[in-house]
Amino acid sequence: MPEQIIFKREEDMPYLPITFGSMAWNKTGTWRYLRPKFENKISPCIEGCPAGQDIEGAMVLIGKGKILQAWDLFKEENPFPAVCGRVCFHPCESSCNRGEFDEAVSINALERFMADMASRHGRKPLGKREKRKEKAAIVGSGPAGLTCAYHLARLGYGVTVFEALPVLGGMLRVGIPEYRLPKKVLEEEIDQILELGVKAEVNVRLGKDFLMNDLKEYQAIFLAMGNHQSKSLGIPGEDTQGIMSGLEFLKNVNLGKAVALGKRVAVIGGGNTAIDAARSVLRLGSKPFILYRRTREEMPAFLGEILEAEEEGIEISYLVSPVRVIAENGKVSRLECLKNRLGPADEDGRRRPVEIKGSNFFLEVDQVIAAIGEEADLSPLPKKLGLKENAVLTDERGATRQKGVFAGGDIIQQPRTVVHAIGSGKRAAIFIDCFLKKKKWEGLFEAIRIGEQGTLSMKRYLQAENERASLSSKTVRLKDLNLDYFDYKKRKKMPKTQVAKRVGSFEEVNQGYAEETAVAEAKRCFNCGVCNLCDNCYIYCPDVAILKQGEDGPNVIDYDHCKGCGICVEECPRDAMVMEEERR
Amino acid sequence: MYERRELMYAGHQACAGCGATMSMRYALKALGEKTILVIPACCWSVLAGPFPYSALQVPVIHTAFETGASTASGIKAGLEMRGDTETTVAAWVGDGGTFDIGIQALSGAAERNDDIMYFCYDNEAYMNTGIQRSSATPFGTWTTTTPANHPKGQPKKNMMEIMAAHRIPYAATCTVAFPEDMMRKISKAKAIRGTRFIHIYSPCPTGWKAPSSLSVKIARLAVHTKIFPLYEVEGGERYNINVDPKNLPVDEYLRLQGRFAHLTDDEVHTTQETVDREWERLVKKALD
Repeated sequence: MPEQIIFKREEDMPYLPITFGSMAWNKTGTWRYLRPKFENKISPCIEGCPAGQDIEGAMVLIGKGKILQAWDLFKEENPFPAVCGRVCFHPCESSCNRGEFDEAVSINALERFMADMASRHGRKPLGKREKRKEKAAIVGSGPAGLTCAYHLARLGYGVTVFEALPVLGGMLRVGIPEYRLPKKVLEEEIDQILELGVKAEVNVRLGKDFLMNDLKEYQAIFLAMGNHQSKSLGIPGEDTQGIMSGLEFLKNVNLGKAVALGKRVAVIGGGNTAIDAARSVLRLGSKPFILYRRTREEMPAFLGEILEAEEEGIEISYLVSPVRVIAENGKVSRLECLKNRLGPADEDGRRRPVEIKGSNFFLEVDQVIAAIGEEADLSPLPKKLGLKENAVLTDERGATRQKGVFAGGDIIQQPRTVVHAIGSGKRAAIFIDCFLKKKKWEGLFEAIRIGEQGTLSMKRYLQAENERASLSSKTVRLKDLNLDYFDYKKRKKMPKTQVAKRVGSFEEVNQGYAEETAVAEAKRCFNCGVCNLCDNCYIYCPDVAILKQGEDGPNVIDYDHCKGCGICVEECPRDAMVMEEERR
Repeated sequence: MYERRELMYAGHQACAGCGATMSMRYALKALGEKTILVIPACCWSVLAGPFPYSALQVPVIHTAFETGASTASGIKAGLEMRGDTETTVAAWVGDGGTFDIGIQALSGAAERNDDIMYFCYDNEAYMNTGIQRSSATPFGTWTTTTPANHPKGQPKKNMMEIMAAHRIPYAATCTVAFPEDMMRKISKAKAIRGTRFIHIYSPCPTGWKAPSSLSVKIARLAVHTKIFPLYEVEGGERYNINVDPKNLPVDEYLRLQGRFAHLTDDEVHTTQETVDREWERLVKKALD
């Protein structure tokens, strides 16, 4: 810091008043009564992702062409980016601030893109931490169970997964058709989990082949058996040959068993299973049509799936309920149906179908696939675990009432989606770790949660307290951004297989981004609440008080000279700075 | 993208949020260290600091109010005598020293096409002496000499047109909200010989009664409301508009500043009409 210059004698004075030093000694920071500060906040996409993936961070990396590093970031939280990049209902995109501005960033397609790139490069997830002697048993190898296994294995525990079916993957393997999620994609991600040392036993069903009591050698248990039991239609003639549940049908197709369908196939239901079943029927060469008792408005299936089914020419009849199956020669031949109108709303807010008396009509069918919902089979579980309404009760950690037993996925009370299952598996891994290490978990939530919707960060969990970046509890909304710095830009579309090629083939429908498209799409991200070194603060500072630390930052404020004008905070496009009162 | 080297030090004496210092910082990034600045009486006479200090890393000559252009012409002549053709001589003058007090010296230099750069950082009043109106102050503005019950009744003088009428090789407008545009124009001007005039719109939170945090935002709005269009004029004839304004209503700009708080709807309307008319004239010239 240059000193002030003092002329002690007249002779020291120059002949002309010329400069001897800079003004840097003048600490104009003392003028300040407001103080700017860099403060990262929560991006709504990350808060909206139940798996807690650092989406904003990955967008920055993809934008710079660092695709594999972006994948590492996702893989830190979720073992299934290739799966999620295909089948997730992407609540991140519904939370994306860009959605209110023009169109949400295509996060889901980008997740798939980086996973495909990682696969081409043979990239592996980061390995284990220190080895621990404790062991954990996981019942069910769906997204919840395998996510828990992945994280526990990386935390150093010995993990064994017990699976009732002959293959690993749960619903991902037997419930989702090939054209949405190719087997080799799923298998690659499962193999990466097994490579961490996770042991798996297949064809062992809880309640039949083993009991909870047989798991005594394990210090912790995670239950994630999923909802594999189909609800029945409850109409006369249901047991006739030629009637099958949606799940059973998809399972048979996925396990490569021959399925004889006949020509006309009625699929009953409006959920994702119904759509998946109908689209699979089409691919097997039969003619499917969907019967749904309410209207498209109330359909629980994801809109994108409905649109693709319609694209493929699958007919969906709304406001229709089957009431009787009519058999001929012991096999289904006709379906008697009733027409409905919409009545008042149910407790879930959807309008209830009301039958119109006398509106009966008949449909010629060769096969009926009933996909009206799935439920859990909790009969092998002891009551003392805490069961309610065919679900396992858990606390905020995912722990049941029995010490050391945790639960997740579709058998607990949470939305039945792949990404919620993954989130519950990760949560259980974190709190099983706490349980086994006898670590205090109260107060941990504040340190590792991202926002208010229950999203947890494994990265933050693994960091020591002093290395965790400070994170405000504020979620950034569109109104918090300086939109002068963003231009309207349409979202990039993913190429799809032509409709004509989809019939009769289980080839994947969505084809994924090219690298150039992906990089451009990632750059559409606003990076809400997180400094991406755009340098507006540095450029506009009238007092040269934002200092660059090389090209990779972070930028630093020179409080000796910052006068607290607030331009940096005002001109920050992404709400990554705040102004606070100066304490003196 | 930006020249990282800073030729302006922290510790200068400007108010918080000063547009004139942002302007100086960008200008020096574009001009480089081989530059001599001539600063007549204006805010920057004070901002640069008292003897024996300077907030600038280039030679500065402080001079009398009306002599910005003539001193620059003299220094340039001196350098040429010594065979230095490389150093840029730039007058750095406020709007009072340009529009009012220094206009004869500037007109003389421009008429002779002296090889100097002339920067007018325009904060639309005599801010350094206490916010007195200048001929750069816009219609309806409050200043200490045009109080709210008797605001300025005349429109802002069109200095760019006066300079274009001298048919100098280059004249351009720029502002702090568009630093890339500013640095590009200054670099371009630096490479041209003859008199080059750069008119910089520099917000003054103190004199405009605006929050210091809004300096850049106000400058951006000045461009997008067409109040201060960004354009360049080559040879006094070839007009080129550089930023497409978003065509926002002038009210969005006016209402952020206390100096316009007293304006009636009619006066805002008058301002809008004047701005629209001036813009149409400018577009016509750019299309010519």
